[in-house]
Amino acid sequence: MERDRWRGRETGGETIVILHVVNKAPDTGKTLEQVLTAMSGDDSLLLIEDGVLGSLPALADRCAGLPGRCYVLREDLESRGLLARQDERFAVVDIEGFVSLTEQADKTVSWY
Amino acid sequence: MRYAILLMGAPYSTQASHSALRFARAVVARGHRLECVFFYHDGVHNAARLAAPPQDEPHLVDGWIALHTEHGVSLQVCIAAALRRGLMDQREASRHGKAGYSVEAPFELVGLGQLVDLGLDCDRLVTFGP
Repeated sequence: MERDRWRGRETGGETIVILHVVNKAPDTGKTLEQVLTAMSGDDSLLLIEDGVLGSLPALADRCAGLPGRCYVLREDLESRGLLARQDERFAVVDIEGFVSLTEQADKTVSWY
Repeated sequence: MRYAILLMGAPYSTQASHSALRFARAVVARGHRLECVFFYHDGVHNAARLAAPPQDEPHLVDGWIALHTEHGVSLQVCIAAALRRGLMDQREASRHGKAGYSVEAPFELVGLGQLVDLGLDCDRLVTFGP
């Protein structure tokens, strides 16, 4: 499976943790599907810009396999009038939290 | 930590430039060193010195310049991506026989090798795509 190709990602025995940042809404192409296929181990997902639509309860089930590792950007939820409408499986972070997530991850990969 | 930002979205076309500028401000506010913003693909339009957006809208070009002035962030523009989009500094303009120029300091036209160096040298490289 394609998933397994990504799972072997290691450096000197230590697994690299990646923060995946998605800025496209779930109905725009297959970006979110591709991200979820590529994610592995302790990787995290952050939705920004139109990507925040993916955190709405009706659309959030596809991220159900990532408990505690789903984040959505507060500023972009708020500017779309969606703050507090996100699924409870998503943690809301502000722009400072975004920076903090990039500190914690070894690498940040943006999907667009 | 030492950060760099790669910006590939054109200003006012997508949210990328606004997101990148907000992220850049937050990086500095958290006490990190933001080494560089690298403008690539349509992101090079962020360096247009003639940009004149309506006064009640954020002025992205001035926003980048302020970041440079206040925090010494270098503003590097891919020269190949810029030239083919009509973005060039005075030196390139005279080299190509053009009457005007569209890029000036603190933006600098550089080769793509600079981006490779940023990826190698900085602790974090964060991309904002279109």
